[in-house]
Amino acid sequence: MLETLGNLALGFSVALSPPILLYAFVGCVVGTLVGVLPGVGPLAGISLLLPATFGLDATRAIVMLAGIYYGAMYGGSTTSILMRIPGEAASVMTCIDGYAMARKGRGGAALAIAAVGSYIAGTVSVIGLMFLAPPLAAFALRFGPPEYLALLLLGLLVLAYMSSGSMLKSMAMAAFGLLLGMVGIDQMSGYFRFAYGVVELGDGLGVVPVAVGLFGVAEILATAGQAAPPAVIKPRLRELLPSRLEWRQSSAPIARGTVLGFLVGILPGSAHVISSFVSYAVEKRLSRRPEEFGHGAVAGVAGPESANNSATSGAMVPMLALGVPSGPIPAVMLAAMMVHGVSPGPLLIQQQPALFWGFIASMYVGNVVLLILNLPLVGLFVNILRVPYPFLYPAILVFSILGVYAVNGSVVDVWIMVVMGVLGWLLRKLDFETAPIVLGVVLAPMIELSLRQSLAMSDGHYGIFVQRPIAAVLLAVGLTLVLMNLYTFARRGLDWRARMAMAERGEDSS
Amino acid sequence: MTRHRMLATAAALMLAVPLAAAAQEPYPSRPITMVAPFPPGGVADLTARPVAAALERVLKSPVGVVNKTGAAGAVGMQFVAASKPDGYTLLLALSSISIIPEADKIFGRPPAFTVDQFAPIALISADPTILVVRAESPWRTARDFIEDARKRPGQISYSSSGIYGTLHMAMELLSHAAGIKLRHIPTPGAGPALTAILGGHVDALASGPAVILPHLKSGKLRALAGWGDRRVAALPDVPTFKELGYPDAEFYIWAGLFAPKGTPETVLAQLREATRAAVADADFKAAMDKLETPIAFKQGDEFQKFFEADARRLAAGVRTVGRVEEKK
Repeated sequence: MLETLGNLALGFSVALSPPILLYAFVGCVVGTLVGVLPGVGPLAGISLLLPATFGLDATRAIVMLAGIYYGAMYGGSTTSILMRIPGEAASVMTCIDGYAMARKGRGGAALAIAAVGSYIAGTVSVIGLMFLAPPLAAFALRFGPPEYLALLLLGLLVLAYMSSGSMLKSMAMAAFGLLLGMVGIDQMSGYFRFAYGVVELGDGLGVVPVAVGLFGVAEILATAGQAAPPAVIKPRLRELLPSRLEWRQSSAPIARGTVLGFLVGILPGSAHVISSFVSYAVEKRLSRRPEEFGHGAVAGVAGPESANNSATSGAMVPMLALGVPSGPIPAVMLAAMMVHGVSPGPLLIQQQPALFWGFIASMYVGNVVLLILNLPLVGLFVNILRVPYPFLYPAILVFSILGVYAVNGSVVDVWIMVVMGVLGWLLRKLDFETAPIVLGVVLAPMIELSLRQSLAMSDGHYGIFVQRPIAAVLLAVGLTLVLMNLYTFARRGLDWRARMAMAERGEDSS
Repeated sequence: MTRHRMLATAAALMLAVPLAAAAQEPYPSRPITMVAPFPPGGVADLTARPVAAALERVLKSPVGVVNKTGAAGAVGMQFVAASKPDGYTLLLALSSISIIPEADKIFGRPPAFTVDQFAPIALISADPTILVVRAESPWRTARDFIEDARKRPGQISYSSSGIYGTLHMAMELLSHAAGIKLRHIPTPGAGPALTAILGGHVDALASGPAVILPHLKSGKLRALAGWGDRRVAALPDVPTFKELGYPDAEFYIWAGLFAPKGTPETVLAQLREATRAAVADADFKAAMDKLETPIAFKQGDEFQKFFEADARRLAAGVRTVGRVEEKK
């Protein structure tokens, strides 16, 4: 403990030195920007800027790249809340209640809550990273394909809490999303599936074009289809800050989102995306007024936005403690270290204490910078809503196309976005929710791969899922949740006489 | 001069001007694009950046790296194969350039590109893969490993960067050479493949040396043998499969520079010369040193021969693996 504090003092002496501070600041600014731009997420931002860091020394480079990563999580909420366009994939859930809040004139409050939630999550999770990295990383390594499959199946249950309308409809949308997730090269056999000779479809439908299409483009089309344009919202200054009630409603979700995001972040995969979905579901399940979700529930913004920030620190755990990537973004950061001759791995802390502790300390500093940067920006961003729709929406469309194109430099991705936009518009007309589709697209490839990897490991025996303790426990939890829901469902479906009889029997026995 | 004549002369002039310009225009007169068909941070990208920077200094013309990713590299490779052969679009490819068309062939689908659509310029690096197991595993040597695999066919598992990927092919070449059968667990990339062995979910992994060096140093993994024709400088105690009597288990993760077929011979010659100068550049050497990737420069006939022999081995490897369903 004392040693850690001493090390942290060393870290702060590095992180607060002017050049490092400057690069952390630049990273945070760039991160906020890539987060704000629709489509361009942290992966694209880091990838585009990686070459620019080759000339820097290792500490500066890594501090800047990390700044982009968590900065993007701050920025991603902006367009989601104001325009229902996910700034990056992890902000899809924020679109729902954040935008509903903005329509009610609480856009400024939603932005402020997202920023403060992100700050708390960012700072607390770095503490977790600092003290718990080695044991947690060892635990994360025990998550092999069977454990991962069990966890993902648990993630699918999230669906039950995602919709505010018809359960059947949201199941249908999730199934559709899972089907869309099947497109691409089969990782186990090398077959092209549903690619129709388009090589670009080999990697499947990207989450970014699908999310921006289903939410952003669909929203623009829906607005354009209205007889009269929606009234321009004129935010007033005193409405910018959250009310006391809103603070109270967001404090517990922020705390839960922080812990949950960190834990999900450690596990491999697109952690920050999944963490926001799970957090939304948890908040809706625990809420005393779940019916508010989808219509501007504060918890629906506070939870997911904290979770996706916390997940960024979680994702650094395996990277720093073991030198293994837990997802595409840490993989790029690992490469950045290698370019500078720093070999990431278990020996990093001993060999490069200044780099390691400087990096940790810079994350504290970076989060403060982002809060200072983002809170005043709330006032500025909210004014975007003053722009009349005929000017605002074409501009957003242009930025969406640019952003989606920039991720892979692929025109095919732009077409996917357009098709998804039209589809999303149609589905909205028919009163279907589109968030389950995004969940399906994210989960399908991971569920399929981990199932088939598990079976390859066990030579086709399904016993592998119950023989391994972590997997067995997770599956048992999932099964219990399903049974509990089925029970309430079955009870609700009963005839009133049968229900009365049950109640009487209950009284008799007591 | 009749009106007709005037038009004809004007047309001829208009045609002649660009032709003459093309003939006289020195190469390079505008920026060159180097396509890395894998995402930033991967081997192809990390090799392409220093090569591009060094080429820029030699050619005195901007050389930009563009990541055109997708479908295990096929998207970027197809893009270069189909681009104008004028020396302004180059490709930094890895060994997979020889694997993808073969895999397309066994699936009976129209190939995204073929190897003969490219003109090789130079080989930049060639790292043999290394066979690693966990430190607590019972196998002390490659012989232990192979003997055990013979006794328990299909029981020892390994992770790879994906089916028909480099790490998969290396293992399959070994299996074929040693007459053993291993269990393949594909993962989405070299990083997840490493995580799988560190977590104890698979028993073995064939990996590039740079990636595993930190884990060998920390004592988590043990190296048994390498696929090169000689030992790796950083691992002098690790024998090669060739030494152990399996000469067919030869495999490299290599990076080479290519141009589309049909690029003028003078331009190719210029690019070869420039690349030779570029790899001798001190900054380039320092960059590759940090990546722990030794430079293995080959050009002209030498590269052509290496490339062809490698492509033959890999094609045979892909055919041995065959299509997954046919194994059942």
